[in-house]
Amino acid sequence: MLIVDKEGILIRYNVKMEKSMTPEDAAAELYPKDELNRAIAEAIFEGEEDDVIDGLKAAIAAGKDPISLIDDSLMVGMKVVTELYDQGVIFLPNVMMSADAMLEGIEFCKAEAGSSPKPKGKVVVHVAEGDVHDIGKSIVAALLRANGYEVVDLGRDVPVDEVIACVKKESPMMLTGTALMTTTMFAFKEVNDRLLEAGIRMPFQCGGGAVNQDFVSTYELGVYGEEAADAPKMADAILAGKSLAELKATFHKH
Amino acid sequence: MAVKKFTTMAYNNADEMVFGRAKSPVKAGLDLEIGAGYTTAEVNYAPRPEAGETKEKLVNEYQRITRDIMARMVQVGFPSVVLETEHVQQMTNNPTWGAEVAHAQKTIMEEYHEEYGIKCALRHTPGDIREDKDFLQLRGDKYNVVMESFEAVADAGADLLSIESMGGKEIFDYAVLRNDIPGMLYAIGVLGSMDMEYLWQGIAKVAQQKNVTPAGDTDCAQANTAMFIAGGLLDKNLAHTLAIIARSLAGARTLSGYEAGATGPGKDCGYENIIIKGITGMPMAFEGKTSTCAHSDVMGNLIMQCCDLWSNESVEYHAEFGGTTVQCWSESLSYDCALMNTALKSGNEKILRDLLMASDRFRDPQSYILAYDNAFKVGQAIVKDGNDIYLRAKNAATECCNLLTGAEGLEMTKFETNALNKAAAELAALTSDSEKFMSDCMEKYKAEVKVFKPENYAL
Repeated sequence: MLIVDKEGILIRYNVKMEKSMTPEDAAAELYPKDELNRAIAEAIFEGEEDDVIDGLKAAIAAGKDPISLIDDSLMVGMKVVTELYDQGVIFLPNVMMSADAMLEGIEFCKAEAGSSPKPKGKVVVHVAEGDVHDIGKSIVAALLRANGYEVVDLGRDVPVDEVIACVKKESPMMLTGTALMTTTMFAFKEVNDRLLEAGIRMPFQCGGGAVNQDFVSTYELGVYGEEAADAPKMADAILAGKSLAELKATFHKH
Repeated sequence: MAVKKFTTMAYNNADEMVFGRAKSPVKAGLDLEIGAGYTTAEVNYAPRPEAGETKEKLVNEYQRITRDIMARMVQVGFPSVVLETEHVQQMTNNPTWGAEVAHAQKTIMEEYHEEYGIKCALRHTPGDIREDKDFLQLRGDKYNVVMESFEAVADAGADLLSIESMGGKEIFDYAVLRNDIPGMLYAIGVLGSMDMEYLWQGIAKVAQQKNVTPAGDTDCAQANTAMFIAGGLLDKNLAHTLAIIARSLAGARTLSGYEAGATGPGKDCGYENIIIKGITGMPMAFEGKTSTCAHSDVMGNLIMQCCDLWSNESVEYHAEFGGTTVQCWSESLSYDCALMNTALKSGNEKILRDLLMASDRFRDPQSYILAYDNAFKVGQAIVKDGNDIYLRAKNAATECCNLLTGAEGLEMTKFETNALNKAAAELAALTSDSEKFMSDCMEKYKAEVKVFKPENYAL
């Protein structure tokens, strides 16, 4: 059997570029100073749901307001996670596990307070009609929630009528659509046309398997999301006042 | 159909495996014999989005695609070709749509065969539509529609029947995003195998009745999901060491189709097919550097090492400078096959196989394990406990970890190594009692995964 040294044939750039700092070290620099908040943020980073609840109980017992804890500890912990994910220090499963822990923590705080915090904004997510491939949509929803957005998840194989009705009812800041197949993504055009007919002009972020920038560029409201991680970035850009044209200029990379 | 488990390897050693030759070649279609000493291009395509609006538009689209491919094959002088039509959902949900497409395609292929003598076969791959909006629905009405679709396309001219089955995906999608190795094992190795055994007995029965070939399946729904999430070297979504553990598990899963009656050629996107070929001796389709039109991978040359059919995965039908996409890609595939066939004819096949393998061997943990020598070892681990779907999947994952841990010449990041070590420890801690694993997982995932319905697996 022929074995050839890889020198000159390939380079594992991920090995070459790997940061020397461990994820734990990087996270430690970003935690809040307050000890009670820090314990909760650390538990979020570790994705340990039980430790999050224990930390929240301790903080509430010490007199902290449950709703304030969402912003001061849970969201701070989650921001550490999403920042390190964006920097390439930690990987997606860490974000998913931390998001699970954060959502559990938020539910606990809401139950303790008897009220709900105000989210950064609302996003409706769905998988195109006729398409049942939803892991991409699940990642998009988790990353949006991890970044403080309220997500209305319509699930998979969602009829166009249902998408339009939900947008009218919920008035979200953004709609997302994912599809794996070339034939199902055609539904996005219909969603676009129906939104315009109804006089609704809002960013409609589309991505997934067979979806590409060329296709998304053929309908007015479409903004191409190449990576799931683009979803919260696009939502942040909308909050910052970016227009549809500016969103396309930023996210249409090809 | 009776189920016959594999407990031995078809080959005495890994070095026996080459491209274009399989222990059990398959005759199919119009004078084609797959794995009988030559390789053949398998061209895959997807209709343009707007073509799905009506049946007439779809049939017309596939006629154009088929004619384009066949014309290019004879223009450049290639002796054989396979066309694969992966159904869009309308074609499976309405079996007459799929049948009309198959008939239209086969009619054109017969014309070319008659006029030029080109050897060819048509594979149809109905979509696995066994699900409703919220849940998998693997047994019952939707299963019956899938079988009707197979019957209809077989009657209409399809020579090779395949599917990309979905069993276990509801647990896998949850587990892979949480680095949950036991969950991945349960999803792929146990639930996926159980469903595939059930499904393929039905497909094999249809194939037998219609005198066509029950070709094979793939773990696209799970192992390819892991591979795509893992992405390139700089992507940060999943450790590549975990992606190859999922692929090794897929070897144990995809094998179930061949135990329940499939005979090959396996489906192109089953990168685990190198493991399957070693175990079964059946011909296999692969995709790699020529499927960059559909997705990137990190083993584009290596995965060609032992192919019998060489595929491009899928390309949307539209115009390019060099013709339509299906013409461009079918020509590229066929030139690769011409090179392999030249190597076979001149006795240089092992040299070319090894060059392909060596060029990617150290590119990634995934390519390292799928190098034919290591894949053969994973196969041996599977057949060691071939009668127990849990143990053989666990063996496959464990062997994968062992090979990576002892790998020489493969550089891994700390992240990849840490993920590997954690996975190996979790696998080592698992019970060797299949029933206990099953009952523990049933309890855990019924509680954690809302869309898990055990009745899909007769559990």
